[in-house]
Amino acid sequence: MKVLLVEDNERVTRFVVKGLQEAGHVADHADNGRDGMFLAASEPYDVIIMDRMLPGQIDGLAIIEALRKAGNRTPILILSALSDVDERIRGLKSGGDDYLTKPFAFGELLARLDALGRRAQGSGTQTSLRVGDLHVDLLSRRASRGTRTIALQPQEFKLLEYLMRHAGQVVTRTMLLENVWDYHFDPQTNVVDVHISKLRQKIESDSEPPLLRTVRNAGYMLSADE
Amino acid sequence: MNRLLRSSAFTLAFSYVAFGIAALVLFAAPLWYAWQVTIQESRTEVLRADVQRLSEVFRREGAPGLAAFIDNRVGMQIPGERILLLTNPALHRLAGNLQEWPGGIPPEPGIYTLPVNLSGRQTHAMFVHTILPGGYNLLVGRDQTLFASLAPRFWYGLAAAVAVLSIAGALGGLMIRRAVLMRVDGIRQTVLAIVQGDWSHRLPTKTVSDELDTLSRTINAMLDQLEQLLHGVRDVSNSIAHDLRTPLAELRSRLEELVLTRPGPEEAFAEIDGAVADVDRVIRIFNALLRLAEIDTGMRRSGFVPVSAADVARQAVDFYLPAAELKGIALSYRGNGPADISGDPVLLAQAIGNLIDNALKYAADRGVISVEVQTLVGGKVWITVADDGPGIPDEEKPKVSTRFYRGDASRGTPGVGLGLTLVQSVAKVHGGVLELADNNPGLRAHMIIPAQLPGGTGALRGPALPSRSQLADTLGQLSLEVTEPPLDAADRSREARCVEYDHGVAPRAFHVPMLPDPANRLLGLCAAFFARDRQLVGAHYLCDRFRSHARPHQLDSGFVHQLTAFGK
Repeated sequence: MKVLLVEDNERVTRFVVKGLQEAGHVADHADNGRDGMFLAASEPYDVIIMDRMLPGQIDGLAIIEALRKAGNRTPILILSALSDVDERIRGLKSGGDDYLTKPFAFGELLARLDALGRRAQGSGTQTSLRVGDLHVDLLSRRASRGTRTIALQPQEFKLLEYLMRHAGQVVTRTMLLENVWDYHFDPQTNVVDVHISKLRQKIESDSEPPLLRTVRNAGYMLSADE
Repeated sequence: MNRLLRSSAFTLAFSYVAFGIAALVLFAAPLWYAWQVTIQESRTEVLRADVQRLSEVFRREGAPGLAAFIDNRVGMQIPGERILLLTNPALHRLAGNLQEWPGGIPPEPGIYTLPVNLSGRQTHAMFVHTILPGGYNLLVGRDQTLFASLAPRFWYGLAAAVAVLSIAGALGGLMIRRAVLMRVDGIRQTVLAIVQGDWSHRLPTKTVSDELDTLSRTINAMLDQLEQLLHGVRDVSNSIAHDLRTPLAELRSRLEELVLTRPGPEEAFAEIDGAVADVDRVIRIFNALLRLAEIDTGMRRSGFVPVSAADVARQAVDFYLPAAELKGIALSYRGNGPADISGDPVLLAQAIGNLIDNALKYAADRGVISVEVQTLVGGKVWITVADDGPGIPDEEKPKVSTRFYRGDASRGTPGVGLGLTLVQSVAKVHGGVLELADNNPGLRAHMIIPAQLPGGTGALRGPALPSRSQLADTLGQLSLEVTEPPLDAADRSREARCVEYDHGVAPRAFHVPMLPDPANRLLGLCAAFFARDRQLVGAHYLCDRFRSHARPHQLDSGFVHQLTAFGK
């Protein structure tokens, strides 16, 4: 993926750019709003990471609004120290696609970038999802693995559906909380882990190869290959 | 003097005196006028009666008889009581105590008042002039100066009254001023002392409550509140200092040790992992504090929507159920009805989540946690989370919801001591309270929040005010703002106004018909979404988002089929 980072803090920039390169992405960066705007408008990127408070006359949200007005639909992840719900809504209303509060774990950023990048490729209307021999019918709300039918609670189905839509990507606990339960807060205990292990028991019987893996310091990943 | 003039007591006294004088004048002027008129009339009357009597004498005895009668009478009377003069037609004196016809009186009969020389004394007199048969002139008069002293007496009386009133007013003003100044000065002294940092002072109050006393009491109540807030802030900064310093100190020593000992890479990385965990702990405390601040300022109230507390609680129970099962704890939900309130679903979920989380931490092994949501008489929604853990001793109950307080029972358990503080803040921002009671054994935590009455009679939902629900669809690439009209079963032709904020496109508004049935309401909105070429993902997501605003809706296959049909 080709990623543009617009961020004025040098240390954060170095950390993110290095991390992105190690993850196999190509990363450009701009340390002020003007350059960021220029790069975003002239180069084709898969995802843009935009800091909200930037030096110079032009701030992050203004850049996003200008890009959207110009018809640029590149997914944008807003990076900000402002954590209020109202700020979040403002960010998303201006045209941002996701909002991550500073300070952040790099794993969280990477997972969200992957999700944004994949979404942009678009898959049209899907009525069923498949990962390996795990199959989910979105219309009848039924799941099965091989010939075995899996009985799922509505919440478990939602969790599985989200994981399958992001198959092959790391999905963090925060992403699950926000997208499966719509909880925009930290529930302190490891409830998400418990939900995952319950789901894992249902989709992976002893004889079947594992599908749902825990990625250390980051989250979970559903994938068929080893 | 300048200060005296400016003082409110002086103004008060001055206006009081001025008002008194005005009242006195208003009272005295008509009196004076009436008095004057009456006296004039009665005088004339007396003179006319005299004229009558003398005319009678004239008619009986002729001019000489009358002259004799007059002379006789003049001789008998007190000097000056009556002025009498009888003249022949040529105005020559025949009898009377006036030496000659006064020049000022014309020959025509009538009533005249004029200065006259009465036996060498200059005086003011009133005369009645009558022409008797045969052209004789009869003049009957009366010395006015006899009454003249009355007028000054009246004026003196009035002046004395004004003087007394002014002095009394001024004295009263001074006394009021002294009394008020003393008390105002007391207030000033107290406030000054408080400004200088001594918060123990309070305004003096009396048992009899007058206006100033009521003011003092109000100010005292405000001071109590301020002092409490001040203590709160002080406690918070102390607690922050303590609770953030601890993990920061750990982090520091960990890093310092790493630098000093320079261990092998394996051990070093383990230490760094530990350091990252320490930082995460600090960040978590910061986030919790920021969230509390966000709630406490009441900013979130702008995002309030009609929400079913029962749904939020049920969802929270579902969310925590696997964690409870893992610990062998029976977590159950019980409720009566939807328990509609006006609130923020995210905050409510977090508060209920915190209560369940606490209960999970403290409940006994194989224990029982029950979550109940009930709408009780009096329009209150009670959200209760009860466990059978150790409970909280009565003396600790008021303290546990303060920031960073950790009860004895919580030593050694994870957490930073902000959970119940948040629950309390959330209850407060919803106009409610958090109450902690005994479950014997265990704790019963009640969030008591005003219910939203159906039909828009609730204080939070006026009939003219549309309820607002806002959602930002982050899965699809747009956000949608939906303004629902107030729920009203009678009105079946309502429309929700939706404003779509799409990337780079000007916001588009469209209307969606809404049916009273919640399930169909969702359907209507989703259908509208479909009609605008959205993916299934978007529609799904929208429905799920709407769950927290409307009744829970199972996304069964039939529903999705209907959606697809709408889409085509």
